[in-house]
Amino acid sequence: MGPTLLNYRPWRGEFHAPAWSFWPIARVALSMMFRRKLFWAIYAFGLLSFLVFFFGQYLLAWADSQAEGEYVNVMGSRLQAGTLTNQLRTVMRLNGTGETYRNFFAYQGYMVMIVLALAGTMVVGNDFQHRSLPFYLSKPLSPWHYLMGKCLAVAVFVNLMTTLPAVILFFQYRTLYSWGYLPDELSLLVGILGYGLVLTVFLSLTLVAVACWLRKTVPLIMVWTTMFFMMRPLSNTLVDGLRYDPRWRLIDLWNNTYLMGNYFLGLHPANQPEWYEAALVLALVCALCLSYLTLRIRAVEIVR
Amino acid sequence: MPELLDPADPRGGDRAVAPDRSQFTPTVAPPGPSVGIAPPLPRAFGPSLLLFEQVSKWYGPVIGVNQVTLELRPGITGLVGSNGAGKSTLMRLATGHLRPDLGKVSVCGLDAWNADAKRHVGYCPDTDAFYEEMSGRQFVEVMARLCGYSRRDARRRTEETLERVGMAGRCERKIRGYSKGMRQRIKLAQALVHEPELLVLDEPLSGIDPIGRQEFIVLFRQLAAQGKCLLVSSHELEELEKLTDHVAIMARGRIAAVGTVPQIRELLDNHPLSIRIQSDQTRALAGDLLQLPDVVGVELGERDNLTVRARNPKQFFSAFMRLVLEENYQVGHLETLDDSTHAVLEYLLGGK
Amino acid sequence: MNEGIETGQSEKDLTNKARDTSASIRLVTLSPCHLVTLSLPRAWFYLILLSWQRQARARLTVWFALALLVLSMTIVGLQTARGRWSMDHWRAPRGVGPTFPEVIDCWTVTASTGAASPLAVGINDASLAAFRAVLDQSGFLVFSRFFVFSIFVTFLLPIWSLSFATEAMGSERDSRGLVWLLSRPLPRSAIYLAKFLALLPWSLTLTVGGFGLLCLSAGDAGALAFRLYWPAVIHATLAFSSLFYLMGALFRWSAIVAMVYTFFLEVILGNMPGYMKRISIGFYTRCMMFDAAESYGVHPPEKAGVYLPVASTTAQVILLTATVVLVGVGMAIFAHREYQDEV
Repeated sequence: MGPTLLNYRPWRGEFHAPAWSFWPIARVALSMMFRRKLFWAIYAFGLLSFLVFFFGQYLLAWADSQAEGEYVNVMGSRLQAGTLTNQLRTVMRLNGTGETYRNFFAYQGYMVMIVLALAGTMVVGNDFQHRSLPFYLSKPLSPWHYLMGKCLAVAVFVNLMTTLPAVILFFQYRTLYSWGYLPDELSLLVGILGYGLVLTVFLSLTLVAVACWLRKTVPLIMVWTTMFFMMRPLSNTLVDGLRYDPRWRLIDLWNNTYLMGNYFLGLHPANQPEWYEAALVLALVCALCLSYLTLRIRAVEIVR
Repeated sequence: MPELLDPADPRGGDRAVAPDRSQFTPTVAPPGPSVGIAPPLPRAFGPSLLLFEQVSKWYGPVIGVNQVTLELRPGITGLVGSNGAGKSTLMRLATGHLRPDLGKVSVCGLDAWNADAKRHVGYCPDTDAFYEEMSGRQFVEVMARLCGYSRRDARRRTEETLERVGMAGRCERKIRGYSKGMRQRIKLAQALVHEPELLVLDEPLSGIDPIGRQEFIVLFRQLAAQGKCLLVSSHELEELEKLTDHVAIMARGRIAAVGTVPQIRELLDNHPLSIRIQSDQTRALAGDLLQLPDVVGVELGERDNLTVRARNPKQFFSAFMRLVLEENYQVGHLETLDDSTHAVLEYLLGGK
Repeated sequence: MNEGIETGQSEKDLTNKARDTSASIRLVTLSPCHLVTLSLPRAWFYLILLSWQRQARARLTVWFALALLVLSMTIVGLQTARGRWSMDHWRAPRGVGPTFPEVIDCWTVTASTGAASPLAVGINDASLAAFRAVLDQSGFLVFSRFFVFSIFVTFLLPIWSLSFATEAMGSERDSRGLVWLLSRPLPRSAIYLAKFLALLPWSLTLTVGGFGLLCLSAGDAGALAFRLYWPAVIHATLAFSSLFYLMGALFRWSAIVAMVYTFFLEVILGNMPGYMKRISIGFYTRCMMFDAAESYGVHPPEKAGVYLPVASTTAQVILLTATVVLVGVGMAIFAHREYQDEV
């Protein structure tokens, strides 16, 4: 009679393959970020340039709809509609071409840097710092699944900051104006997605590797900001100032993603290295990051 | 006599009850001063060491400590309770790391938040954080110097304290390489180094081997004998029983019971316990329950529920189990309705 | 209950019961609450020393700060090696015309070949000499504008101050070491002040020392810049450190908040025209620098009516006041704030 009182029963479901663990790991990482007010504050700041582009395009469409030569009131000032549209279209490049989206991606650089610095410490660094790695690695999955789950979470942040707003801008322009020649429009959309993909792969791997290495917020910020901020003046000094070969710009990794983006969007910036050279450097950095992560994973296995 | 403190009691509050002191004095700290949670004494008898006056503390919507009033004088007092019962909050309030939202916490007559009060308090936290890059000796010396000792005095006091906690010859290595037991000893050493009158020790015996525990117990008794007041928390009542006869049991932020363990057991036996039982045969079960010698009354409720009031919980539960098995009653749900009693039961009946 | 006293009982009942109790038990004689050898100031000074020593524990931060310094020195050194800290390579019209020295040479040749009155020749020679003198002294101006104002004040100074200031409190909070300090008989505000004073040697060494090394890499232009700008760097370091240190006491993710502040307020708002930039520390730092180097032709990037600079003394007073106020606010907040998760 006794055993009938017991209510325990074995698990009757079927376990998924370990590859399915990517998403739960990423989901936990995402929820860790999403429940922070700080993240939403930074994200709101990050959307400022999106809003400039969004309302800039709207303003352009509205000014276009006015008769040429007529004056329009903008924030209390009288401007000639033609002048306004010219400013927006040629100076700010809000013309729905590849330049618009390339500029948007490039302007998002600082905000992406800040969000990823936060994500790096919160999502990856804390696991090492607070020794929560064994909670993941004690499950029937390999360390690679853990790392890929984290990369997936970082990829979501990258795309929330860059690709998603860029795609919204793309569709906004097409709804304000008419669609152009469909293959051209599609190639532009593919270009945006391609730029986003390059950023996703490169930034995810780099951030996870750097966060595994440094773990703490302040060193991570220093390395990360140096990578984004200091490499630009250094490469400019070498190429523009000292007249070295433009290939020296390849030391600026953010610029390399910019070159890749230009390639995807069909643009050719002057006095810059070729896109495939930038791609090679990014691939090398990714390979370095993967090698480092492999070494780290081996170390974890030895400890286990 | 101790008394169980029933939150549902219309008189409200936590009625801290003084134990029979004559029973404590010989067993706990001979020949030192008496021990226990004493009733609030008039000022004519001198300031108390630790005084909680109607103290409540919230963590957002969650209440950590609920209207606690108690007073501690020299001796050892054990503080027992399950996780989340409010033990650590109570201790952090006593050491001035937290401030009460309502009420007042005083140490030697000073507000516990005040820096002056901390001269009289030694705190051994439950966290395992140290200045890991230091050796145990350096750490204790640093803590002594932060109390205001000169370098020479700090060294002297450090050596004495390390000797006292049994770490004198083995604290040259960096703390990051210490075992759990060594860490606990260093934590205790830093709490003792400035000779405080009040020692607040949050689970000081956890992670220590049996020999170390015995050493700590002897040390705590010596300290109590010197007139110090020790508030020691633990999850295990048995562990505290070896150290002191006087315990306070916490549940859901309240002091659920105060007194000696035998007294609490005796009280529990006399205190009718309310238990809600869900079964699809409530009438038959109620009839059988009334036949049990410890059952005081049975009340039939809605949705197959009945409420039993019984004395001598241990005997009642074993009789109830026999009854259920023999008569094959299907019991869907069973719970004690009195929080404090439930908490005390958890400990006295070994967590069942 | 034989000796129990309920909390709700009146004071009179309590007193009577306590007297009854005292007949049956031996009254407790407390050990006196005095510790005569303890000295609060001694403990406080020791805390400053301890905190200063423990800052060195953040080795990674120190190493990366130094690495950033080396990288910056590389940029400056390369420019110096190529003689780029001058207007010699500038062109008129910009980017396409002849370089400034070429213009002077051309001007000299033209002046010497033309027949002109002695007065005209004299004026021409004087103008040429003035032009050459400006060109010779242009190194300092170029270094100031393209390195000191744009990279050092905007990026290096805040990031170096940030690294030590947020770490001072942040590392204690992260490692849960705050409990040991808060258990000692030191007023909380004194603990806050001590840790702030302990971080200053580190921050000042890095910013002023780093600035000195960077100036050293820039040759004569750098030497002059250091001589003129070091007071501004010290004032800015104090203000930045007090602000970021306060963030450390306020926010769990203080380094990130400090970084957001740096990039939004210092980089974006700090370079906007109008009054908006007056909330940034970098603005007052630059004002002090502009005033110090005014006689060398260093001016704000925009017209005075747009940039709206303040006098050096005003900037100095504002930066010092900001430091004192921020530290004071921090002391008040730290004295009253509970660190529930960190103790």
